[in-house]
Amino acid sequence: MLDPKDLQRSSYHLNRRRLLAGLGATAVGGSLTGAASAETMHHSVADAPVANAASQLDSVPHLGLHQAGVVNGRPANGMVASFDVLASNADELEALFRTLTERIAFLTVGGSVPMLDPKLPPADSGLLGPIVRPDNLTITVSLGASLFDDRPWLAPLKPRHLQRMMRFPNDALDADICHGDLSLQICANTQDTTIHALRDIIKASSRQMILKWKQEGNVPVITPGPDGRAESARNFLGFRDGSANPDSSDVAEMDRVVWVGADEGEPAWAVGGSYQAVRIIRNFVERWDRTPFGEQERIMGRTKMTGAPLDRRQGSEFDVPDYAGDPEGKATPMDAHIRLANERDEASKAHIILRRPFNYSNGVTQSGQLDQGLLFICYQANLERGFITVQQKLNGEPLEEYIKPVGGGFFYTLPGIRDASDYLGSSLIAAARGA
Amino acid sequence: MSSPDPQRAGGPSSRLMTIALVGAGVLVLAGGGAFYLASQRTVRPSEPGTIAVRVGDKSCEPMDLTVPAGRSVFEIENASNRPIEWEILDGVMVVEERENIAPGFRSQLAARLKPGVYDITCGLLSNPRGKLTVTASAHSEAEKVKPPLKAFIGPLSEYKVYLAVQSGQMARAIGALSTAIDASDMDAAKSAYAAARTAYRYVEAVSGRIADLENAIDPVATYLAGREQDPAFTGFHRIEFGLWREGSVAGLKPVADKLAADAATLRDRLKAVKFEPTDLAGNAAREARRLAEGPVISGDNLYANDEVVEFAAAVDGLEKPVSLLVPLVTEASPDVAKATTDAFAAVRAELGKLSGSDAAPIIYSDVSPDARKALAAALVALADAIDRINPALGLE
Amino acid sequence: MRMSGLVGASALAFILSSGAFAQEASLDLVEPIAEYKIYVSEKLAKLVEDTTAFTDAVKAGEVDKAKELFAPTRLSYEAIEPIAELFSDLDASIDSRADDYEKAEADPEFPGFHRIEYGLWEKNSTEGLAPVADKLLADVKELEGRIASLTFPPEKVVGGAAVLMEEVAATKISGEEDRYSHTDLWDFRGNFDGARKIVDLVRPLIADKEADFLKTVDANFETVDTTLAKYKDGEGYVTYDKLTDDDRKVLAAAVNTLAEDLSTLRGKLGLD
Ligand code: HEM
Ligand SMILES: [Cu+2]
Repeated sequence: MLDPKDLQRSSYHLNRRRLLAGLGATAVGGSLTGAASAETMHHSVADAPVANAASQLDSVPHLGLHQAGVVNGRPANGMVASFDVLASNADELEALFRTLTERIAFLTVGGSVPMLDPKLPPADSGLLGPIVRPDNLTITVSLGASLFDDRPWLAPLKPRHLQRMMRFPNDALDADICHGDLSLQICANTQDTTIHALRDIIKASSRQMILKWKQEGNVPVITPGPDGRAESARNFLGFRDGSANPDSSDVAEMDRVVWVGADEGEPAWAVGGSYQAVRIIRNFVERWDRTPFGEQERIMGRTKMTGAPLDRRQGSEFDVPDYAGDPEGKATPMDAHIRLANERDEASKAHIILRRPFNYSNGVTQSGQLDQGLLFICYQANLERGFITVQQKLNGEPLEEYIKPVGGGFFYTLPGIRDASDYLGSSLIAAARGA
Repeated sequence: MSSPDPQRAGGPSSRLMTIALVGAGVLVLAGGGAFYLASQRTVRPSEPGTIAVRVGDKSCEPMDLTVPAGRSVFEIENASNRPIEWEILDGVMVVEERENIAPGFRSQLAARLKPGVYDITCGLLSNPRGKLTVTASAHSEAEKVKPPLKAFIGPLSEYKVYLAVQSGQMARAIGALSTAIDASDMDAAKSAYAAARTAYRYVEAVSGRIADLENAIDPVATYLAGREQDPAFTGFHRIEFGLWREGSVAGLKPVADKLAADAATLRDRLKAVKFEPTDLAGNAAREARRLAEGPVISGDNLYANDEVVEFAAAVDGLEKPVSLLVPLVTEASPDVAKATTDAFAAVRAELGKLSGSDAAPIIYSDVSPDARKALAAALVALADAIDRINPALGLE
Repeated sequence: MRMSGLVGASALAFILSSGAFAQEASLDLVEPIAEYKIYVSEKLAKLVEDTTAFTDAVKAGEVDKAKELFAPTRLSYEAIEPIAELFSDLDASIDSRADDYEKAEADPEFPGFHRIEYGLWEKNSTEGLAPVADKLLADVKELEGRIASLTFPPEKVVGGAAVLMEEVAATKISGEEDRYSHTDLWDFRGNFDGARKIVDLVRPLIADKEADFLKTVDANFETVDTTLAKYKDGEGYVTYDKLTDDDRKVLAAAVNTLAEDLSTLRGKLGLD
C-alpha cells in the first residue's frame, strides 16, 4: 500500500509554494484529496450516515447467517427497547419469535398496509402512510440473562458469558432503565420509521411481551469529503466517535471480533450470534462545556477539531497513535479514554469491540440541566473479553467526571434468520425442545 | 537592489500567513531574527561559532553539517547566480528559513534545534538536499525532560505548607517550654525543649538562611567572644545551658519569652519567603554541607549532648523538599533519583551506628572524631547527590 | 503532516496572535495553593472531630442528637469537596447517594452519610447503622491521612471553585442531595464557602487584570449570601422545602453564572 505520507512529502513543497502564491484554499483542497485517496477505504459501522444519500427505499436484507443491524453502517436514528417476556414454555417462546420474524420481514422489506373495516381500529398506526417503505430499517433481537434464569427449561441453554449487567464503580443505575428479557435494537434513516416499527411490534406482540424501557438516539449525518469518505460523526461531547472502530467490511475480522463461532464453547444454537452490551450514559454537558479545551483533549486522547491522535495532531482521525513511542504519556496521557480503552499492543487485540452508539437527548433533569448522553451499544463475540474487560480498564478514567452510566443491559443477539422458511431463534427453540 | 519586489520577497500578508502556518506546528522556533528583517544587505558581524554555508549553483558547501543541540547560528552565502532561499526541514516541516538571498549576499539565521537529522535545501528545488545532524548535548538532554514551571507549583506550595506546620509546631513547643519554666518543671521543660528543637531542625534548611533570626535563635557559645557569659548568648542554647549545665530555670524566663517572639517572627518570615524551583534542592544541599562542616564535626549541643537525635530530624527536614521533587526527577533522570535515595539511606546508616537506646542515649561528646568524619562524609555525598537534581531538571 | 492540519493550525495561530490565550502559570500560585492546603487541613481536622461526635451519637442510639449533628458535620466536607473527590473511592463511600445504587436505599452497598441520613429521618432509628457509622468515621480519618500526604495539584485547587458550583448546579439545586433531612442549605453554605475561599486566595494574582471578572463573581456570591441569609435559622438553615420557588431560581441562576465564570479561572491563571 502506498504510504500517504510519502505522497504528502513530495506534494507538500509545491503546495506550500502555491499557497504562498495566493492559491491558498485550492491548493489545500487538492492535497487533502490526494492524501486521502491513497488510503484504502475502511468501513466502520460507526461511519457517519451520509448526508442526502439516505433514501426511503434503502433496505438492509433481514435474512442471513447473522442478524442485520450489527455490521451494517449506522443510519441516522437508533433505539433500544427492552421487554419482559411472558412465555412460559418453548411453544410460547416460539410463537413470540415467529411474531417478531414476521413483523421484521414486513417492516424491513416494506409493502402496503392492509386496510381493515373502518369500524375497527386500523392494522397499522399509519405513521408512514398506506405504503411502508424500508427506510434502511433494521431490527435486531437479543435476549437477556433473565429470560434464561427464570425458566428452568431454558436455563441450561444460556450463553456462557450472558449475565445480568453488573454495577461498575461510576455507575448510578436506575432500575427502571436496566436489563430486560429481550431487547430490540431498531435503526432507520428517520425517527418515524423506528417509532413506527416499535409501535407495530408492540401491537403485534402485546400478549407475549411487555415494554420495560426504551432509549432513542441519533447520529448527525455528515457530508462526505471529495474522496467519498465521511468523517466520523460527533458525540455530545463534541468529539468524533467511531474513528478507531474495527473494519466492518472485513468479514474475517468481524468473525473474530463480533460473531460467535463454533469453537468458543458456546451452546451450538448460539453460533452466528453475538453479545450486545447496551449502556445509557449521561453526559454532563454543561460542565463539559466549561472544561478547558486542552483538558478535554487530554481526557479523550484525541484532538477535538479533527479527531487526530494527540501524538500526531496534524494527522487525521484515522491515523494510529504510537503508544510505544510515548511510554510516559507525554502526548497521549496514560489515562486518556482511547488509551485505556485500547493500549494497542498484542494483548489488547483480544479486547476489540464493535461500537455502534447513538447520541440521545431526553429532556431536563430535576436540577434544570440537559439530560443528554450516549446510547452506547457494542457487539463482541465474548462479553467478558470485550465490553466487560474494556469497561474495567476504563474504570476510574478522568472522563468519569463528566459521564454517568444510568442504564442498559447485557443481551445475546440471536443468530440470523437463515431463509424465508426459518424464524428467529429457531435453533434455540429446537435445542430447548431437544433438552 | 534597493527595495526587493514585495511580491517575491513575500509581502507582509503572505509572509504572515507562512509564519502562522508553519509556526503553529513547529515546536522548534527561531531563536532570533525570525523575520527577513535580518537584512540581506547588512551582514552582521559573525557571532563566534557561526556556521558558514556556501550555496552554489548545484549544491551547498558543506553538504553535511553536524551541530550540537541548542542554539546555532548559520551564515548563508549565496554563491550562485540566482536569488535563493535556504531552509532547514524536519520531514516536510520548515523549521527555519531565510528567503530571497540575492546572489553574492549573505544572510544569518539563528535556530534552536532539537537533536535529530534535518534536511537543508541548497538553492534550486531540483538541487540535492544537504544533511544537518543535530547531536544531543547536555543542554538538549535536560531540555527534553525539563518540566514546565507549572510542575513546580505543587511541590513548592507543599514545602511551604510543611514549613508553616513545623514552624507552628515549634512556636507551640516554645510556648509549652515557657510555661514549664514558669512552673520550674525541669522535666516538662526539657521535653518541650526537645520538641521545639526537632521542629526547628525540620525547617533549618530555610530558617538557617535568615541570618538575623538565626543569630537570635540559635547562637552557639563557642562563636561568641564571652562564650556563655556573652550578652549575645540567647535563644535555644542559652536555655539548653540552663536546663542541662546549670540544672536550673533561673534567668531563663526572659530568654524563653524572647525565643517565643523570635519563633513567631520566624513563622511569619517563612510564610512570606518566595521560593524559586531551584531552592528546593539548593537549600537542602547547602544545609547538608553546613551540617557536615560545622555541627557534625564540632557539635552544637554542648550541654545536652543529644546531637544525634537532632541530626536525624535535620535529615528528615532535608528529605522533605527533595522528596517533593522525586516524581519529577524520576521521570527526568532515574539515576539521579536513585542516587539521592541511596545517599539518604547512607546518611541514616551512619546515624544508625551512633544511635544508642532510649535508656542509654549516645552522648555526642563521646563520639570519636573518626565517626564524626564518617557521618560528615555521608552528608557531603548526600549534598553532591542532591546537587545533581537541578541540572537534571533543566533548572539553572 | 497534512495540509488539512496546517489549515487547522493556521486558525490556531490567528487566535494566538490575537492574544486570546491566557497567561502561563506562574510561581505566584505557590502561596495561594499552600494557604489552601492549610485551609483544607483545618477543615479536615474539624470534620474528623465532628464525625466522631456524630457517629458516637448514632452508635449510642441518640436519634435526635445525631439528627442535630448531621448537617453541621457535613459542612466541612462540602467545603473541601473538590479535594476530597480526588479520592473517588472515599468520596463514594462517604458521600454517595441512593441513586448510585441499583436498588437505591434498599441496596446493601449504600454507605456513608446519606445511608445514615436515610435511617435517621426515614426510619427515625439508628438500627443497623452502627457498622455504617464505624465505616464512615474510618473513611473520614483515612481521607485526612491521604490528603495530608497529597501534593495539591494547582489546577485541581483553582478548578475546585468551579467544581463546587458544578456540583450544586448539577445535583444539589434540586434538593436531591439531602433528600431525607432537607438540610441542603447547609451543604450549599459549605460549597459556596469553599468556592469563595479559592477565589479569595487567587484574587491578588488577577485583581489588576480581571477586575471586571472579579466584580461579577463577587456580585453573584453576594446574591447567594443575601438569598441564603433569608433562610438562616440559628447556627444553620431551615429545611430546603421552605425555599421559595423564586429564591430557588435566583440561586440557580447565580450558581450557573458562577459555574460559567469560575470555569475560566484556571485558564486565567495559566492552568489549562
Ligand atoms: C459517554 C461515554 C463515552 C464517550 C463520550 C466516548 C467517546 C469516545 C471517543 C470520542 C472516542 C475516540 C474516537 C473513536 O475511536 O471512536 C472513543 C473511542 C473508544 N471508546 Fe469510547 N466513549 C464513551 C464510552 C465508552 C465505553 C463505555 C466504552 C467501552 C467500555 C468505550 C470504548 C471505546 C473504545 C474501545 C474506543 C476505541 C479506542 C481505540 O481503539 O483507540 N467508550 N470513545
Ligand atoms: Cu492504509
